[in-house]
Amino acid sequence: MLELVDLSKKYKNTYAVKNMNMFIEKGEIVGMLGPNGAGKSTTISMLSSLVEPTNGDVLLLNKSILKNPSPLRKIVGIVPQEIALYSELTAEENLQFFGRIYRLKGKKLQQKIDEVLEQIGLSDRRKDIVSKFSGGMKRRLNIGVAMLHNPEILIMDEPTVGIDPQSRNYILETVKRLNKEKQMTVLYTSHYMEEVEYLCDRIYIMDQGSLIASGSKDEIKSILSSEKTIVMKVNRMDPTFIQLLKDNPVINQVITSEKEITIIVPKEVNLFSKLIKMAEEQNLEISSVDVKVPTLEDVFLHLTGRALRD
Amino acid sequence: MIWNIVKKQGLQFIRNPQELLLLIGLPILLITILGIALSSWMDGESPKIQVKVAFIQHSDEHAEVEGFMERAREVIPPEAIESITENSQNFMFVHTLRDEILGSNALKDIILLEEINASEKESIIEDDSFTAIIEVPEDFTYDMLNHVVMDEKTQPALKVIYNDTHQVGESIVRSILTQYQQQLTLGVFLEKNGLDQSILNINGSNIVKEATTIEQNLPITSKDYYSVGMAAMNVLFLASAIGAMAFREKEDHVFDRVILANVSRWTYFISIFLSGMAFGFIQLLIIYGYAWLVFGVTWPDLFAFFIVTLAYAAAVGGITVLLTAICYRINSEVITNFFSGIIVTIMAFLGGSFFPIGDSSAFIQKLGDLTPNGAGMSAYLSILRGNSLADVQDHVSLLVVFSVLTIVIASISFPKRGQA
Repeated sequence: MLELVDLSKKYKNTYAVKNMNMFIEKGEIVGMLGPNGAGKSTTISMLSSLVEPTNGDVLLLNKSILKNPSPLRKIVGIVPQEIALYSELTAEENLQFFGRIYRLKGKKLQQKIDEVLEQIGLSDRRKDIVSKFSGGMKRRLNIGVAMLHNPEILIMDEPTVGIDPQSRNYILETVKRLNKEKQMTVLYTSHYMEEVEYLCDRIYIMDQGSLIASGSKDEIKSILSSEKTIVMKVNRMDPTFIQLLKDNPVINQVITSEKEITIIVPKEVNLFSKLIKMAEEQNLEISSVDVKVPTLEDVFLHLTGRALRD
Repeated sequence: MIWNIVKKQGLQFIRNPQELLLLIGLPILLITILGIALSSWMDGESPKIQVKVAFIQHSDEHAEVEGFMERAREVIPPEAIESITENSQNFMFVHTLRDEILGSNALKDIILLEEINASEKESIIEDDSFTAIIEVPEDFTYDMLNHVVMDEKTQPALKVIYNDTHQVGESIVRSILTQYQQQLTLGVFLEKNGLDQSILNINGSNIVKEATTIEQNLPITSKDYYSVGMAAMNVLFLASAIGAMAFREKEDHVFDRVILANVSRWTYFISIFLSGMAFGFIQLLIIYGYAWLVFGVTWPDLFAFFIVTLAYAAAVGGITVLLTAICYRINSEVITNFFSGIIVTIMAFLGGSFFPIGDSSAFIQKLGDLTPNGAGMSAYLSILRGNSLADVQDHVSLLVVFSVLTIVIASISFPKRGQA
């Protein structure tokens, strides 16, 4: 349905996005995962015709939309990362304004507003000024505006940033419901791997402007099928101990955080007794050792050497 | 589509009491303070001009005309005598000057004419209350008629003594006598060339025509002046307010949403211009409405007032869309702050919003008239003085040209798709 072909955006000497390839089929939920600054929002801006790419093309049903974005704009609803609303107006006035600029009017507009308010759970707050809303309510209205014109494709750029868990769940459930009940195609970007893992059929992982992995959840996790992740909690960080781990030829990767050391090793290697002995030699106390099933976070860690939220 | 955007801007204004207070409350407050505080300076009525003129006549004019006619009958053919007799009223030169000009109804409020004896002349010269002494020498009319009709070389002259401490009064008397002299000379010319003298009509209204120019305009009070000055200045703040509001739409990505709804950038651009123009028009009407209700500032020509208001609102719309385009281009609202903080102050100063700076120099007046607020002010003040739309067409044209120019520059600056 929608395809990005070698899409790049260069600002001066830096590539914000480089040779991005992606496709979205009708009715699926596709996730785009990556840390802040990975190029997700720039990709969405190019995809939605707001920013012209330096190279590459965007195809809708195999036709380029770069010169004439009108057909795409008619069927796409964008939920920007920012709260793109008029904070001085009420929820209903916002929906009225955006509905009218989508050429909806009269009863049809009012019906659509009622429907959207119901879907986002703000029917009883329709007359309230947006500036008085909580972060979660603003996010929900932000999504509601994008749904007014019955879009076939909903593109959501980090729709749950900075909100409480309850509102986040509400949004995730809304997205699931829209996809299931209305067969709405969704492109969902986030740096919360659990959201993408929960919602999406297929996933694209981006880092520093480039695509580093793509496929179904299982396909991506299979990147780590030959390895396992061991997380150790220690009473203090000892540089000698960490160096010893890094020098060990069977350990593929060592990542440290405040009181945790994560190591990635081949699946068949049994390292427990050796790890405890090495810790004792450095007078280190290991409080727990955990072997984890690989997550998307681990995949990202494996591919980039950094955590998603670094 | 355009209406929806303009309506939405209006809703945003209504929901923003701070902005409303600045755009409507502030000028109203300033008009009240300045209009009252400076009323004694601006409204001080100009002192009434009273010109005291002493008139000395040495002989009886009727007797002089009779004497001339007697002489004329001896040397002039009877037909010519008949013609002179018919026009004898025109030969009463002194009577014309004294009764029909200086003593006319039109000049009676200005000139206090006192006929005195020649013996009083010296004491009158000493009396500083007199502006001028006009002395008609003996046989003035007789000699004048001989000069005109008999072609005698000698031309009699009035003796006038001016009090040079009364500059204004002196110039009024001089002006009256100069015009009288011109009419008299023309009469002599007509007589000598055998033309009909009746076409000449020396009377007060001819003289008064020139004199009335002093008083033909309605006076401008301090409340009139500051209503215009503050309205003209404060409506400029509206341009920066809408410009800043439009830039926030870009920052908050609402503009992107509008574009994604397949609304053309130019539709949005025109909406911003029309918002500036419509709200500028409404703001001016509210301020002038207040001035009318509270201070009685009324417009002698309402049609001209509306045309000037519309033209000035168009100029404000032009500034609004230009500021918006620059904000979008440089990706910052610094220009709107600079405009409202610095440029408006300079424009208000040059345009005369704070005080009539143009009175001090013709150059500054011209410079001020080149600013939209200065042109608007000049047009408004001119209408308040009782002038018509035709009298302010230069200012209105300037406002329209300014509006078109700013729209053109803004359309060039406004980022196209994929820019800034």
